[in-house]
Amino acid sequence: MMPFDPTLFTISAIVCWLIGMTLFLFQDKLTVIKISAHGFFLAGVVVLTVLAVMLWQELGRAPMRTLGETRLWYALFLPLTGYATYIRWNYKWIIYYSGVMAIVFLGVNLAYPDNYDRALMPALQSVWFVPHVIVYIFAYAILAVSALAAIKGLYVNYFQKSRDWSPQLADNLVYLGLGFLTLGLLFGALWGKEAWGHYWTWDPKETWAFLTWIGYLAYVHFRHHQPKKVVVAMWVLALAFVVLLICWFGVNYLPSAANSVHTYS
Amino acid sequence: MKQEKRKKPIWVKPWGYTEGWLIVLGLFITGLALQLATGGLDRSALAWPVNLVVGIIFTLIIVLGWVFLKRKTPVAWLGSIPAAVTSIAMITFLVLLMGFTLQEDAQNPVWVQKLGLSNMVSSWPFIFGIIFFLTSLGMATVKRLIPFKGRNIGFFLNHAGLYIIIIGGMLGSADLKRYTMHLHEGEIVWYANDRHGHQVQMPLALELISFNMEEYNPKIAVIDPHSGRIIPETISEMFEIDKGNRGTIFGYDVEILEFHKLSGKIGDRYEPVNDFGAAPAAYVRATCEEGESTEGWISSGSFMMPHSLVDLNHVYDFSLAMTIPQASHYSSDVVLYTESGDVEEVRIEVNHPVSAEGWKLYQYSYDDRFGRWSPSTVIEAIRDPWLPFVYSGIYMVLIGSVYLMTLGKAPVKENGEQS
Repeated sequence: MMPFDPTLFTISAIVCWLIGMTLFLFQDKLTVIKISAHGFFLAGVVVLTVLAVMLWQELGRAPMRTLGETRLWYALFLPLTGYATYIRWNYKWIIYYSGVMAIVFLGVNLAYPDNYDRALMPALQSVWFVPHVIVYIFAYAILAVSALAAIKGLYVNYFQKSRDWSPQLADNLVYLGLGFLTLGLLFGALWGKEAWGHYWTWDPKETWAFLTWIGYLAYVHFRHHQPKKVVVAMWVLALAFVVLLICWFGVNYLPSAANSVHTYS
Repeated sequence: MKQEKRKKPIWVKPWGYTEGWLIVLGLFITGLALQLATGGLDRSALAWPVNLVVGIIFTLIIVLGWVFLKRKTPVAWLGSIPAAVTSIAMITFLVLLMGFTLQEDAQNPVWVQKLGLSNMVSSWPFIFGIIFFLTSLGMATVKRLIPFKGRNIGFFLNHAGLYIIIIGGMLGSADLKRYTMHLHEGEIVWYANDRHGHQVQMPLALELISFNMEEYNPKIAVIDPHSGRIIPETISEMFEIDKGNRGTIFGYDVEILEFHKLSGKIGDRYEPVNDFGAAPAAYVRATCEEGESTEGWISSGSFMMPHSLVDLNHVYDFSLAMTIPQASHYSSDVVLYTESGDVEEVRIEVNHPVSAEGWKLYQYSYDDRFGRWSPSTVIEAIRDPWLPFVYSGIYMVLIGSVYLMTLGKAPVKENGEQS
């Protein structure tokens, strides 16, 4: 039995973010509001970090095995990435988007509570397990923010009929995210050699991870060559994120994944 | 970089995306025709030393082609981004098809197999796509390499590294050997089986001393004894069985009063034993909300012992049950004999392969009918002589990906504030 209730932590984090985001709306009115906005938003991240650490200790393994557990890390990294982007580049809208997405992910965890379980199959007991998953989830969080930037760019183009929009943020995030994505892919390859005997077997998850990676690769090259064709680039970026989501969640449901080593619930 | 505005006839210098898409289409149609006519490529045709020769000639063509012919329109184009983007798109399209098709499966419809969709990596359209991709990647690498500039080092690591990984992986797959060795306690085995079941002589022999397995504690569950299925609403309430653990499941307060990881049934109770076929068992008490309680032994059973349930017949026709324990570790202790006369006792464990005579030995499987008491084990023997080459590429891209993270530029003030 869990000596603590993960639901309480999850709800506290959601409440912290909701208060923080609301306060951000009025942060220009008073310095106190501004400070509290930052405080609440970060408190949500801290609460989830505490939950992750406690789960790790309680389960005696990294809580990164099930989809629900990966959603927890995602909900932790996404607001952190959004917050860092806001601090570094001053894009305020990122705070709201990353906060809302993190809340959605935690909401899914609330709707489908995990049966936390110490069991970790032998193949996953590797020094590569934690770096592989952490680096991937971090990449996913950064690329989610880049996808939001792309959607915003498309919105500005089609609905506000404006060209006054710079894809600089999307570019910066993709460089960072693609770097982490590459690390995750290669860590997975090195791990795969030790655990399953080969670094690349075109397992369906690997196939889709490759598609995700090459999608962002296409974006980077296209942007470099055709910096003025922003709309096409933003479409590529948005579609690459759809492929990413299929890779993360969809693969389990594809008939091609019948024999995958990566199917988990 | 300047935007091309003018309308330029196709195949006139400089080539761009239009030429790229036409080349992709041409490669695709040619590949498909070849696929339908001959079937896919037989990898073994590339076995050592053919793959080495092919790799060297291909790379030489790229390097010399760039050095001497870079002013020719098609060569200049191959080193350009439109070639990179269109070749990436071709690979993406083919891998996407692969992502939706079960690979290497005889169940696929005949037309899927004819088109090479169920064996994409060996199909001609894919091979043509990879050749196009590698040519473009190789040309781009050489283009930035000559003359060498220090600031291009990150670019070089990423592009040359990827080239090495892909060419090494594709050509090396012809030399990749994956065999299984089926070991039974006390037998020395000098041969392995390939995927088709043919016996292959090995330069090493293995003798199984013992197969070892450790298990996690099982969990307590509520099942429908007629179907044997777990009641779905109780899945999130299942908890680990250990002496003293207590929890609420299906509205019952359940206590674990006794737990034996390995036990045998003696009369109507279970006692700890360590015999072949022993199974876990627990003595549990379940108390319903009205205070009425029921007690008894539950066991997941083994191949020798039946399972045991405690009925919750107070209100529902359901039972308390013990799940089958999951393996936490398993390994094989074997004696390893090599042709050079060495004899060594080693443990082969999941995630911890053992290297010998150029082979890597992996814990692959065991006889799951017997679980922890399996008298046999399956070891996978893998030989991949191209691995160090591919790994050198992997390490290059690992360093290169850190460089990629630093490419972000200072922000431009934008209207991001308004939403």
